[in-house]
Amino acid sequence: MIKNTKCECGHQNPVGTVLCEACGKPQYEEAGHSSSELLEMRYDGVARRSQRANPNFIDKIWNFFSSVKVAVYLISITLVAAMLGTVFTQETMFVKNFDPSTYYKQKYGTIGEIYYMLGLSDTYNSWWFILLLVMIGASLVICSLDRVLPLYRALSKQKIRKHMQFLTRQRVVYKGPVSGSGEEWVNRAIAPLKKKGYRVHTDGGALLAEKQRFSRWGPYVIHIGLIVFLLAVLFRGLPGLHLDEHYWFPEGEITQIPDTNYYLKNEKFTVEYYTEDEMSDEFRQKGKIVPKLFETKAVLYKCVASCNDPLNEPELVEVDRHNIRVNDPLSYKGLQAYQFDFEEVTMLRSVQPTLVDQETGEVYGKFMLRMNDPETEYDVGPYHLKLKDKYLDFGLDENNKPITKSGEPNAPAFLFTITGPGLPEDGGQFIYFPYLQQQELFGQDKLNEALGGINHKLRFDMLAMEDVDFIHFTSFLNIRIDRAMPFVWTGLGIVMVGLIMGFYWQHRRIWLRIDDGILTLGGHTTKNWFGMRREVSSFLETMGIEVDEKSLDNGGNRS
Amino acid sequence: MGKARRPVQIIILTLIVILGGYAIGTAVFGGEKGIPQAGDKPPAFNLRGLDGQVHNLEKYQGKALVINFWATWCTYCVNEMPALQTQWEKWKDQDVVILGINTGEDDLTVANFVKQTGVDFPILFDKKNEIVRKYGVVPMPTTFFVNKRGKIISIHQGELNLKTLNQQIATLVASN
Repeated sequence: MIKNTKCECGHQNPVGTVLCEACGKPQYEEAGHSSSELLEMRYDGVARRSQRANPNFIDKIWNFFSSVKVAVYLISITLVAAMLGTVFTQETMFVKNFDPSTYYKQKYGTIGEIYYMLGLSDTYNSWWFILLLVMIGASLVICSLDRVLPLYRALSKQKIRKHMQFLTRQRVVYKGPVSGSGEEWVNRAIAPLKKKGYRVHTDGGALLAEKQRFSRWGPYVIHIGLIVFLLAVLFRGLPGLHLDEHYWFPEGEITQIPDTNYYLKNEKFTVEYYTEDEMSDEFRQKGKIVPKLFETKAVLYKCVASCNDPLNEPELVEVDRHNIRVNDPLSYKGLQAYQFDFEEVTMLRSVQPTLVDQETGEVYGKFMLRMNDPETEYDVGPYHLKLKDKYLDFGLDENNKPITKSGEPNAPAFLFTITGPGLPEDGGQFIYFPYLQQQELFGQDKLNEALGGINHKLRFDMLAMEDVDFIHFTSFLNIRIDRAMPFVWTGLGIVMVGLIMGFYWQHRRIWLRIDDGILTLGGHTTKNWFGMRREVSSFLETMGIEVDEKSLDNGGNRS
Repeated sequence: MGKARRPVQIIILTLIVILGGYAIGTAVFGGEKGIPQAGDKPPAFNLRGLDGQVHNLEKYQGKALVINFWATWCTYCVNEMPALQTQWEKWKDQDVVILGINTGEDDLTVANFVKQTGVDFPILFDKKNEIVRKYGVVPMPTTFFVNKRGKIISIHQGELNLKTLNQQIATLVASN
């Protein structure tokens, strides 16, 4: 079906146009039929871009997304889905390993099981939720494109002289006689309108005054902001953009933050507990020990060279340091380290035994013995110590052979070959337990006796407290990287700009024409009709026409 | 402008399908960075070996891999070492490589152990326990069987004896 879209003013309108793009005459209306009704001014009466006579497959998809009704449904469905996701704890919220297939059933019963079966336990990462977001995104893009360009065209080339029907069917209308020639009246009207902030265009006995047109773009600016926001949310999952994990950081150690180029040193961990008097009676009775404050003195390093090279030590550069407390994270370029938990461990890191001569009592000096990755050769005084074997957790197997029972330094033992004065040429063997009570438990002296009796000549002594270095705590930090956040904030910022554009300014237009001494005036605004009415009445007053504000309202006092 | 309308529509719809498809795709397949299962690709690693060389998956491309996680303090790991050594000798001519990834111990301990037991398949150091975490290894030993096309065929938790190990490698070699 082909409709004649040519208006009586000679303008050829696109399909779907409600008002003639040029003169504003309403199209396809039987004469007399509903001619007193207000005009549909949405999108300024122009056609949405996608409206065409014979839509094909692509047009149909396009039209689906272009529809505001569809957009509203999509948003509503997404809203409901997002609400369902808040009913039970989401899978992503669990720190420790847990099995979702049994957890929900155990905790919430049948409802929990159904919840899990429907995939609601991981709503925000499920394919259907993301599909909804993608569809909203598509709708935003297509809706905007479909309306912005036609609206821009309609507003940028407005015809000044409008059809009589266009004027009389606006919501603000005035009709009345004026004296003098039309052209002269129109020229006189320019100054007062300009004073009210209007841009005025005239065409003989016709006038168009317009202000704050930019507020019409507010909704589309909002759309652009939402698109940026949605894109940021959808692509948060890209590698390197997002990390939300919990890791242990032992005191005094530099630990690589997995999957990143960063290393974190836990310089010192401190915890302060509430004293008896500070606690409530309830807590005191329970005998609870409640931490008041825990803090990780953290230093963040970035690896700059030989980062993924197992043969070389990584080169680290300090980039940030911060005392991490609860709600006071370390924050560096999108990486955040939150204090989450801690554990008291008391693990031996290193000892500095002193080599002492049993016979003369002479002290030869100290050397540093690390539990992990110790040096294998030491020179102390005239003696050379070669580390032959190391047991972190000393024990004996069924054949009475020494073994290590675990990877933790619970009962460390070190077997040395020592060469030097007063010792056999090929050296003698010496086993050393840093813990005193274990020296007795495992019989260090007896073992050394069996190994060749160097202990008659030499002794390892721990002379001072500082000679022992313990890891007292490990700190549990929540490491978060969210590089999508700047885009999220940018998107929301653009949305805010759009909202302000639409909220605080209104696009107001006044058209008027004088035919044979009769002034016909029509006014249109996006909102605040009362303000518009007042503005028109005060304008008419300066022009010498007394008119009641309310009488300007065409078609009753609807607001 | 009227003429440009159709291409613009097609370009925008295509972009939406591509971007949207990618977003949904990563949610379905990529979002899960859980532990590897049979059928997955083994996670990448870059580790120093006892031989002082760098070992990674690329180095063993096209070979069937038996990746064994072990430690000297783990009795079951120690027990299965001779079986691994025997099968290494049996299968190495058929492009099967056994990799023993030691978890968190230092050179001295590992070197002494290897000297004692006389194993000579590649032993790698995972000092920071980074790869153990990536592979989601909980009990030790855990052994991953990866076929020549770089796909995990099976994962065995616990001690392997000579016979089961032989069977597993035979299936591995037969698998595509």
